[in-house]
Amino acid sequence: MGSLSSSMWIAAQALDVDQGALDATSNNIANQNTPGYSREIPVLTEGAPTVEGDVTYGGGVVLQQVQSVTDQLLQIQFADQNQQQSSAQTQYNALQQVQELFSNPTSGIGADFTSFFNSLSQLSTDPTSIPDRQAVLTSAQNLATSFNSTEESLDSIQSGLNQSVSQNVTQINSLTAQIAQINGQVGQMQKLGEDPGNLGDQETALIQQLSQLTNVNQIQTENGLTLTTGNGTPLVVGDQSFALTTTAGPNGMTDVSSQGQDITSTLQGGELGGNLQVRDTVIPGLLSQLDNLASQFSTSVNAAQAMGYDLNGNAGQPLFSDTSGPGAASNLTVAITDPNLIAASSDGTQGSNGNVANLLAVQNQALPGGEDPLDTYSSLVSQTGNLTDQAQAEVTASTASLNNLNNQLGSISGVNLDEETTNLMNYQRAYEAAARVVTTVDALTQSVLDMGSGVTAAP
Amino acid sequence: MRVNPNYTPSILADLGQTETQEQTYTEQLATGLRVNMPSDDPAAAAADVQNQALQSQTDQYLQNTSNLDGLMQTADSALSSVITSLNQAISLGVQGGNSDLTTANQQELAEQVQTIQSQIVQLANTSYQGSYIFGGTATQSAPYTLDSTQPDGVLYNGNSGVNNVEVAPGTNLQTNLPGSQVFQGAGGSIMGALQQLVTALQSGNTTSIGTATTQVGTALSYVSQQRVFYDSGISQLNSNQSYLQQEQVNLQTQETTLVGADMAAAATGLSHAQTQQSATLAALAQIIPQSLLNYLK
Repeated sequence: MGSLSSSMWIAAQALDVDQGALDATSNNIANQNTPGYSREIPVLTEGAPTVEGDVTYGGGVVLQQVQSVTDQLLQIQFADQNQQQSSAQTQYNALQQVQELFSNPTSGIGADFTSFFNSLSQLSTDPTSIPDRQAVLTSAQNLATSFNSTEESLDSIQSGLNQSVSQNVTQINSLTAQIAQINGQVGQMQKLGEDPGNLGDQETALIQQLSQLTNVNQIQTENGLTLTTGNGTPLVVGDQSFALTTTAGPNGMTDVSSQGQDITSTLQGGELGGNLQVRDTVIPGLLSQLDNLASQFSTSVNAAQAMGYDLNGNAGQPLFSDTSGPGAASNLTVAITDPNLIAASSDGTQGSNGNVANLLAVQNQALPGGEDPLDTYSSLVSQTGNLTDQAQAEVTASTASLNNLNNQLGSISGVNLDEETTNLMNYQRAYEAAARVVTTVDALTQSVLDMGSGVTAAP
Repeated sequence: MRVNPNYTPSILADLGQTETQEQTYTEQLATGLRVNMPSDDPAAAAADVQNQALQSQTDQYLQNTSNLDGLMQTADSALSSVITSLNQAISLGVQGGNSDLTTANQQELAEQVQTIQSQIVQLANTSYQGSYIFGGTATQSAPYTLDSTQPDGVLYNGNSGVNNVEVAPGTNLQTNLPGSQVFQGAGGSIMGALQQLVTALQSGNTTSIGTATTQVGTALSYVSQQRVFYDSGISQLNSNQSYLQQEQVNLQTQETTLVGADMAAAATGLSHAQTQQSATLAALAQIIPQSLLNYLK
């Protein structure tokens, strides 16, 4: 049989539940612009019914939990896209600096090659002219300087990336430490079947930040998440984080290790992966091509010099210093300062220009690398252009897909103010109605109490 | 279906893209270039390196052509003076062959021929920009000195070397004839014929004066043949110059095709991007203030 007190109890509980629901709505509105926040919904269920004889009475309303609305799978996809986008963006930024070095068709190594051969061609019209000989030396000097400065600029871009690698590792360690702390608590709550709510949001936001730095694998375990790098090196297990360490490698570049093991070459994705890709693959590739070009070109010119005679009638001396191996381009220098030492003559007489043809032939002869000097250089131009172009295309593609995923996530987890306002009004009405039930039951109870006292209840 | 309530980031990303387009088109309009960085078109950027090299080479070939033109004009005018002098020598020889002449007259004629001889030695020692042009590749000392002990009356200090200069891709032009070929060639030695004429006039023997005069005539026609080398060199240089100038125009056209911006397309693209941007901004301004809260009192 129903009773006034059970009606009162149901109404009081409804007031509680509506307050809880209002709380959740209020929290949603408060966090509508908080990055990484997932909207929360109050999960309402019916209270346990009471059965008396043939009648089943409803047990009011129960606020089962306030649940965070999110999609774990989308979050993982988002993290994956995040690391790709961030890696591409980092590579694009670095490659823009690299291609700048090869971007001007009227200056730099390419233009200096042509100036050098033009000065020789000029010399062929008047092989005894000292100004023309001086011009050959000057253009050779300019060419050497261009080689030097291009290689030095590449070196400096590389060492800039190297510094970023160390910074990335520091950031990763700080993030994994924070994640481990939260992850421990989240794991505990999940074990107890509780919704980690805001704590889960915080952890997700931190994992997204971590994904911007490197590729992260997420494995759900009963103690929370286990995070590893792309190749399985652990970063966070339960409430423990595993810091990465940096050591100076043999080539002056920073190596990244985990628990004593060098994992540099296995790191991919994110800013760290992007930095490592350009630092360890792209730039060394360009440097070695530049070094080969400098070394093969100077060898060919020196060989042509040796075939002729200088203005003093002596056999030609090397025009460029002997240079080879890593750093050849930055070590390239002009070995002679006396313009008389250009070996223009093929027979030892001063007026002969016969050996200029041998020197000029270097322009169109294939170097041991397979192409003539200018072709070798222009292939460097198209390589840097292609690499930058690819990185740019990847940035555009991954940004679009990131936006798309963000929209999907937002459609699930985002706070819609219209929706919250509607909920606010619903819960407000429900609260008002429940309060009215309380006053009504109160009045009825008063009537019951007044029944025996002869006092008539107030109308 | 629930949609993402927070749409501003994606609209901002769209705006960013439109702005990037605007920047690209503005840069194209400002520089007139479609390829400002290798990544704009890697293949075109690499081809442009070659194109610039060819343009600069063509400039150098033109420079070579003009240098050589000066050299060859100088040689040609020297040989023209040589021919004039030889004609004088022939008429002196014809005069000397006249049997009415006294020995004294013949001696006088011999002296005049000797003057011509030294004139021709001077012409053979013509230099251009500090280099002797008839000394083979021994250009730094005068190729000829008068020396009566020599059979030809002169001593050749030069050599038989020749120089070639590239004046267009793959085209080499021989730039000089050695003095030994021009002045003492097997087909008619100028120096030898003049010396014989001097000796004949001094001896007064009309027969040998006649023979020597004929030889000077042979030398004259031989040197005229040699002069053709320079004449044809000069005309080759002239046509080479027109070819190179045309080549320059071609290369510039090629460059424009390779890396030049399509101005009309860039201007149209810019105006499209601008329209799109204002439309997006207008839409954003319309949407942002909309909320249920506006209608609740």
